Formats: sequence, structure tokens, C-alpha cells
Amino acid sequence: MSLLETSGVTVRFGGHQALSDVSVTVEPGRIVGLIGPNGAGKTTLFNAICGVIAPTAGTVKIQDRDVSRLATHKRARLGLGRTFQRLEVFASLSVADNIRAGLEIRQTWSRRGGSPPQFLAPAGGSDIPPEAEVSLILDRLGLGELASVSVGSLPTGQARLVELGRALAARPSVLLLDEPASGLDDTETEEFGVLLTDLASAGLGILLVEHDVGLVMQVCSDIYVLDFGQVIAHGDPDTVRANEAVVAAYLGAG
Amino acid sequence: MDKFLTFTVVGLSTSAIYAIAASGLVVTYTTSGIFNFAHGAIGMMAAFTYWQVHVSWGVPTWPAFFLVVFVIAPLFGAGIERFIMRGIEGAQEVVKIVVTVSLMVALIFIALWIWPEDQARPIGALVDTGQLRIAGVTLTGQRLFTIGVAVLVAIVLRFILRGTRLGIAMRAVVDDRSLLQLNGGRPGRTSMLSWALGASLAAVSGVLLAAENAPSVIPLTLLVVNAYAAAVVGRLKSLPGAFLGAVILGLSVSYVGAYMPSDAAIGPIALGNLTQAVPAIMLFVVIMLQPQVSLRAHSLDRVRKPMPIPSQRLALIGGAILIAAVAAIGSLMAAPDQGTMLKGFGFAIATLSLVPLTGYSGQISLSQLTFTGIGAVVMASWGASGNLLWVFVAVAICAAVGALIAIPAMRLSGIYLALATAAFGLFCYWMVFQQQDVMTGGTANVPRTTIGPIEVTSSYGQLVVLAIAFAVMANLLVALRRSSWGRRLTAMRDSPVACATLGLNLLSTKVGVFALSAAIAGAGGALAGRTFVVDEFGLDQSLPITMLAVVGGIGSVGGALLGGLLLGAQPIATTLLAANAIGIFGFASASVSQVLSVMPGFMGISLGRNPDGAAAEIGEAYRDFSRSTSAIVAAVAAAGALWYAARVDIIESWGFFAAMVALAFGVLPVLPAVLPPPGTQRVGRTVPTAIWLVLALVITAVIPWEEVTSSNGFRLLLVLVWASLVAGTSMGVLGVNPTPRRIESGPSPDEIGLGEPLSRAEALEAASVVGVEEAALAMPTADALAAMGTLTDGAGTSPSANGNSGSGTPRNGGGVSGTEPGATGASLR
Repeated sequence: MSLLETSGVTVRFGGHQALSDVSVTVEPGRIVGLIGPNGAGKTTLFNAICGVIAPTAGTVKIQDRDVSRLATHKRARLGLGRTFQRLEVFASLSVADNIRAGLEIRQTWSRRGGSPPQFLAPAGGSDIPPEAEVSLILDRLGLGELASVSVGSLPTGQARLVELGRALAARPSVLLLDEPASGLDDTETEEFGVLLTDLASAGLGILLVEHDVGLVMQVCSDIYVLDFGQVIAHGDPDTVRANEAVVAAYLGAG
Repeated sequence: MDKFLTFTVVGLSTSAIYAIAASGLVVTYTTSGIFNFAHGAIGMMAAFTYWQVHVSWGVPTWPAFFLVVFVIAPLFGAGIERFIMRGIEGAQEVVKIVVTVSLMVALIFIALWIWPEDQARPIGALVDTGQLRIAGVTLTGQRLFTIGVAVLVAIVLRFILRGTRLGIAMRAVVDDRSLLQLNGGRPGRTSMLSWALGASLAAVSGVLLAAENAPSVIPLTLLVVNAYAAAVVGRLKSLPGAFLGAVILGLSVSYVGAYMPSDAAIGPIALGNLTQAVPAIMLFVVIMLQPQVSLRAHSLDRVRKPMPIPSQRLALIGGAILIAAVAAIGSLMAAPDQGTMLKGFGFAIATLSLVPLTGYSGQISLSQLTFTGIGAVVMASWGASGNLLWVFVAVAICAAVGALIAIPAMRLSGIYLALATAAFGLFCYWMVFQQQDVMTGGTANVPRTTIGPIEVTSSYGQLVVLAIAFAVMANLLVALRRSSWGRRLTAMRDSPVACATLGLNLLSTKVGVFALSAAIAGAGGALAGRTFVVDEFGLDQSLPITMLAVVGGIGSVGGALLGGLLLGAQPIATTLLAANAIGIFGFASASVSQVLSVMPGFMGISLGRNPDGAAAEIGEAYRDFSRSTSAIVAAVAAAGALWYAARVDIIESWGFFAAMVALAFGVLPVLPAVLPPPGTQRVGRTVPTAIWLVLALVITAVIPWEEVTSSNGFRLLLVLVWASLVAGTSMGVLGVNPTPRRIESGPSPDEIGLGEPLSRAEALEAASVVGVEEAALAMPTADALAAMGTLTDGAGTSPSANGNSGSGTPRNGGGVSGTEPGATGASLR
């Protein structure tokens, strides 16, 4: 069973073909990379997957269920979480309140308490109260000391971590991350890579849009390359690196 | 057939006026992104100016017309753009709306001031041909002229927008202002030209309309509603669409007027006012047909300041003080003034209803008084006993109506939502409140409240009931803000799309908050305990409520009280001052009451400079006071003593009033220096200050204010000057800024040779001097700090790093400050 599957997704804005016939698949426990030059349609694909825009053609399936006609919030309730390229934090709330809001929104549609996700409490463990879950997430992302800081005043890199934490608070099974590492320095990016790997080994499926090709090559087992709205290459990092079209379109001679 | 043709031509000439007005709206909206609610008011000003120039000063028709339309109106429009609208570029949608609403309110009062409604001011037809008969249709040359002008406007606009550099630049501004700038265009100049053009078109429509009927302030101002209805057909962006909308609207109004008998009815519902309601109905229908706004359409333009949430304790204290103050002040008031206060509190509650809706969740409503009206009507019709149970029924009905309206309206946001609520308000005014069965004789007599065995029998008693209701609801709202639902509302305001991707059902959340807001506004009507007249529920009454909620400081219950009382207290101040045309402002015939009535509008316009509202600014001054229990107790004790002294006639009521003003403005801000909140130290010469404060209050109270001057207005001014004197002297006696210094915890930044912790901007500036990457500063790693260590001298002597802000609290810039102060100190030393 795949967590997320798009088939033949096509998006047209007026005369402009933003995506044509894009099919990607995300399996549980896998980090799938989505790379390509600016304007290739990466964010458009994310918007189509979570229902912010309606594709002209094609279907989106979450856990083998066709969600093409469902509203954004209903797709989220099936386990789809995401972050944004242009920040969409709750700027007037504190860091902890951002996570808390995410968790409380989850509680409006899921009363299921249950044990915390594996990446938070590897030992499994019993049911935890919401507050404990908030601080576990904050600690896991290294945001503990900033808990009471207003998100509006955070630098971009940390605000992106807040968005990730907020998405995690909804306990998704598949996560769309839109350039989560931009704004992080080398050390932080490295730590972030470890975090992604941890999330995946806890069973999450991740679709990662990222310009830091080094990070993508390091953590992804499967990479799609988009150019002008089309998938021009697909495969494991070595295959993609060796692909001439990819080198020409995106990676460059370096 | 002749009748049909005649009314078609009449309809087309009305359409022509709407089309000109609507095209002006479209031109300004597409180029500046600001929807001009004052568009009709500008046309109204132009019509009166034309009267002034043509009729009063005797300038011939065409020179006067050209002067108004091609000189005065464009200059006025350009001035508005330059001095008001440019300041709110990129502000929140609600601020943009409120600023133009404020401009509208200010223009209304300015017009009433210059051209009081004591005489009709007909301007006569521009083209005087008498009656013409063409193909069996009787009409005036004026009507033909109007249609001709509209055709000319359409041609000229098409030429300007398609064929000139200016037009292309105008259209470019909408798409991307900053991009145009990069390519050498000047968006400021383009925007100004479009406002000039818009004002000119407003002026043409205003003068043409006034040529049919003598100009009148409110109807001409509300012409804008018809223009909206026409413009939304073109989705506010297309000129042909706007012209089409205008034709549909003009013909419908004309045909309904011609063929609908005045006593037409559907069952018990009289349709006599349908003509007036047509624009509102069309506006509502067209808006409902708009496609859903895309969730992506979101951009956080200005960095939002986190809204301070008052603690529940503070809200409780505030509520208790409010009730006590109203009980005390009300008992000293004459009955008519109590009645005025009653009205003021009704406004305050309507304003409060916008706190959860606009303040917390960022939705806009322009017709809150409609819900107040529904609450009042339900109470007057069914709850004549005043039983509290009926209040709850009325509130529940308002909530249900609010939810019902919300379901279709909530697909919309920003300007469309604002227009939909305005249309709803207008519709209710014409088609509901005007029904004889609903408000008999145009009045609704809301009974005073009966709570179990307690029956309120006086205005004073009802005033206390309203104060209690306000305090209770304000406390509930503060609790709501701190609750999980309140957090969700704020989250939804900050980023609707993020909420949706977390699984939040935006629609039901919005419907819920809309119902809550309607319920609060309805409570204000059901508990009013006075007689309403139908005109109190008009759109022109509702708009200032929204305006003042934002001026007071949207999102804070204190701001709602401030805004509502400002509106409510204005009649008090006006009656107080009405007899005193003292001309202190040097205008020829400026009376204080007129200045006062214009002021709220100008306060709204000034929002461009301070989008957080007045309450936030005032709140800053009282922040330390609110933290200090001992200071609150002392202030309450002082107020109580003064009230008692007034009650037993030791001091006069003016002495009481003056002492209360001095207490509020001269004493409270200084008090925390003497009685500091926990965690801070006393500062300055506290003992002399304490003695002076007590002395000042006593002196203020015993001054025989009534004998100083016989003019109420002048006395009020004296009291205010005196209070500011008290404040100034207190500062002088104290010797320092009254903000008490925080007791630092952890190592003081002084120890590392800096005046205060670095802000992020300062750190980046310092870093750029020595070439440290920004990324290295984002999270202060040991490496980054080591790099920073090399610039200890540089940072210490850099003028920006020394800082000069008065606050001693560390700023959370996310830079070097805030995290690991110990490590910072170590590596910098």
C-alpha cells in the first residue's frame, strides 16, 4: 500500500501548463525527493495534492483512497500534512502555541488519544497528555528554549521548524515538506537530515522539495526531477545524478 | 408601451450615473488595491461644491462644472492618495476598509458642517431644454445628456487604459507594484493619477445625480452602494462588467418603481420599499455567485505584533471597576444623560461583538447594528415583560440568523465579505425593519430587564444592567481568547490555508464565530431598555461601529469599550458643548460639537499610522499600573473616596469629574513608580511624589470649577489642561521616567560591555562589518559565537549596538540575545 499516489496530475492556469501528467508515489518509511529548477511546478504539485487548487486532470490517492474530490481539511484528516515554501506560520502566536494549535485542531477531528508517534517516544509508551506531546515536539525540534517566543519574530529557518512541528502535531502519516531546510546553516541542516531519517524510520512517508541537493541526495531513497511541469527523471540518487537531462536542466556541470 | 419606453430611458439615465460612479470605483480599486468606501462621499462633496460655486457664487454652469470635475475633484483625489492611502499600502484588509470608511464618515460630517441641512440646495439641470418628445417618449434633455456623458466616459476610459502609457502603467501597478518600480515605473505617481481620475468620475456622478434631485448628504453618500452593486458584476476589475451591472441595476430600479404597486405584498410582507432594496439584493445575489476565493490568496504583508492577552485576573478587576464606575458616575447624572449613556453602552456592546469576529478571527462585518436591531425587535415584540428568559431567546435568534448569513458569506473574504454584510444590513433595513408588523410606527420599545424578582425600573438601573452585561461578556471573551477555540480563531486569522492543511473545517469555525458575534450584538439590543427608532439600524449607523472598533484597537475588549463609549459619549459631549460655539479652533463658525463629530473619522484615517489602534497605545502607558495590585487598590480607594465626597456634597460634581480625569490621566501612569508591580523596584523620589499625588487630587476636587467659568465647553477644556498639568508636575516631582526598572535575572548585559542585549538587526549589522554569514547567526552555535568574539571592541563602540531604547527587557530577535547568555558572556569576554 502506498501512502500517497498521484497519477496523471495536470494543472493548467489559463494557457499556461503548470503540471502535465505528473505521477509520484510515496511509500511508508520512505523519503522521496522532488527537485527541479524554480517554476518547475513543485509547489503547484503540493497544492494539487492537498486540495488547495483543483487539478485539470488526474487523481490523488491517500492510502489507496481517491481523495481528488475532497476538501483540503478532509484530506488532512486522512493523514496528509504539509509545510509551505512561503511561510504560513501563526505569526501572532508563540512557538509553543503554534504547536498547541496544531494539536488542538487535530483534537477537533480525532478524539483518538493513543500512544505518541514513534519518533517522539521510541519506546512506545502509554497515552500522553497533550501538553506533554507539545513539549516532546518542541524538544525534538530543538525549539524548547524558544517556546514562549512569538513566531513572527523568528528567523526563517526556525519558523520553518515551527511549521514542521505544527504539522507533526496533527500526527500525519504522509508529510509534504516544501523547502524545509532553507534558512538553516550547515550544522542545522545536518541535524535536520537526521530528524527526517528518524521520522521516516518511524513509518512516515515524506515528499521533500528542497534546493539543497546535498541534503536530498543524502536522505532520499527515491527522487523525482521536475522541469516545466513534467517529470524528466525518476530513480535513486545515483540514477538521477547520472541522468544527462537532469544535469542539463538543473544540477549543472558541477 | 409608451410607459415602458419612458421608464426604459429613465432607467438608462440612472444606469448612466451608476456606471460612471462604478467605473471610478473600478479604476481606483484596480490600480491601488484599495476599495474606496468614500467614493460616494467624494461625489457628494463635489455636488455641494458645485452648488457653492454655481448657485451661491454665481459662476456660470460650464465653468463651474469644469472647475469642480477637472480641477478640484482630481486634486482632492490625489491628496487623499498622497496623504492617507499611501500609508496603508500593505496593511491588513480590515485596516484598508476602515480607513476609507472613516474618510466617508469624516466627509459626511464636514459636509453637514459646511452645508447644514437647513435649506434645500437645488443645482438645477445642467442642460435645460424643458420636456422633449421623441418617438412618443417624454423626457428631459438632462437625461439624454447624462446618458451621453456615460458613453463618453466609457470611450475615454477605454482609450486611457488601453492606449496610453499611463493606462498600461495603471494596469501594471495592480499586478505587481514593486516590479513596476524595478522597471523604472513610478507606482506612487500612477496610483495618485488613478485616485485623481477616480475622484473626477465620482464628481461627475455626484453632480449628475444632484442635477436630478437637490443634493442631500446621506443619499448621495450611499450612492456608492449602487456603484458597488454595479462594480461587482465586473468582479470589481472589469469596466465593461461594471457598465453591464449598472444597466441591469438602473433598469431594475426603474421597472420596479414603475410597475410595482405601492401596496404590493407577499402574504404579510409589504414590498413597498423594494425599490430601495433592489441594489442591496442585487449586490448580495451577485456576490453569492462569485466563485470561491482561493485559499492561496494569502499574504502576511506586515509583520504582525503579537496581541497582548490580558490575564483573566486583570479582566475581572477591569469588569468590577467598570461596573462600580458606571454605578457611581450614573448615580450623579441627570436622567437625560443617563439615557445617553444607555445608548453609549449599546454601541459599546455592538463594538464588543466585533472583538471575536474581526479581532480574533480576522473576518469583517459592516452591519453589526442589524443584529442589535433583531435583538431589540424580538424583545419588543415578544418579551414585553422584560423577563431575562426572553433576552436569551432574542440572543439565540440573533445567533441563528448570524449563522445563516455566515454560511453563504463565509466562502468570501476581505472586501467581498464586507460588501456582503453591508448588503445584508441594507436589505434588513429596507425589507425587515421598515415592515409595520416588525417596528410599528418605526419604533421598537425594548422593555427594561426583569431578572427573577428584581425589576429594573429606571434608566439608571438599566445602565448598571448593561455595564454588568458588558463586563460579563468581556470576561468571557478574554477567557475565550485564552481557550483552545480562541487559539484556533487566531490561527485561522493568521493563516487559513495552514489551518485547512491541519484538518480544520474553516467553514464551521467561521459560522461559529459569526453566530457568537451576532449573539453579542443582539444582547446589546435585547438589554437596551429604551425605545429604538428604525433609522438607528441603517448602514450609515453600522459603519461607524466597525470603524470605532478598529480605531479603539481591534481584538481587545478594552478597545471595544473605548470605541463604543467614544461613539456613545459623543452625544454627551455634544449636548454638553452645544451651547458653546466658542470658536477656539479659529474657524469662522466652528463649534466644539462639530469638531467633535468630525474627530472619530479623522481618528480612523490616522489608523494608517498606528494600525494597532488607540487602546494598544493607551494600554502601554497603563501596563505597569495594571500589574501592580497595590496601585490598583490605591486607585480604587481614591476613586471611592472621591465618589463618597461627591455623594455627600463635600465636593461638587464638576470637582468629582475633574478629579476623576486627573486620576485617570495624571495619577495612574505615575502610580506604579510609587507602588511598583512585583519584580520591579521603586524609582525616583517616591515619598514626595506620593504626597504630591494625594495633594493634587484633593486640590482638583475642591476647585470651584462651576465658578471659574460659566461655559461648559471651556470648563471641560480647563479640566483637561489641568489634568495634563498634574501629570507633568508628577513626573517632575518624581524626577525620572515612571516606568520602573526590571530587576534583571541572570548576568546583566552590562557585564559584557553592552548597554543592552543586541537586537537581531544590530547583530547582523555588526556581523556584516566582520563578515560573519547570516546563517551562522540564526542559531548561535559555538562557532558563530567564537566568530562574534572577535568583534567585542567593534560591537562595543558601534553606535547602534549601544542602543537607546528605554525598555530593559531583552528583545527576542532570535539573534545572539536570549539564548545562552552565559555562553555569550564567556566568549565575548
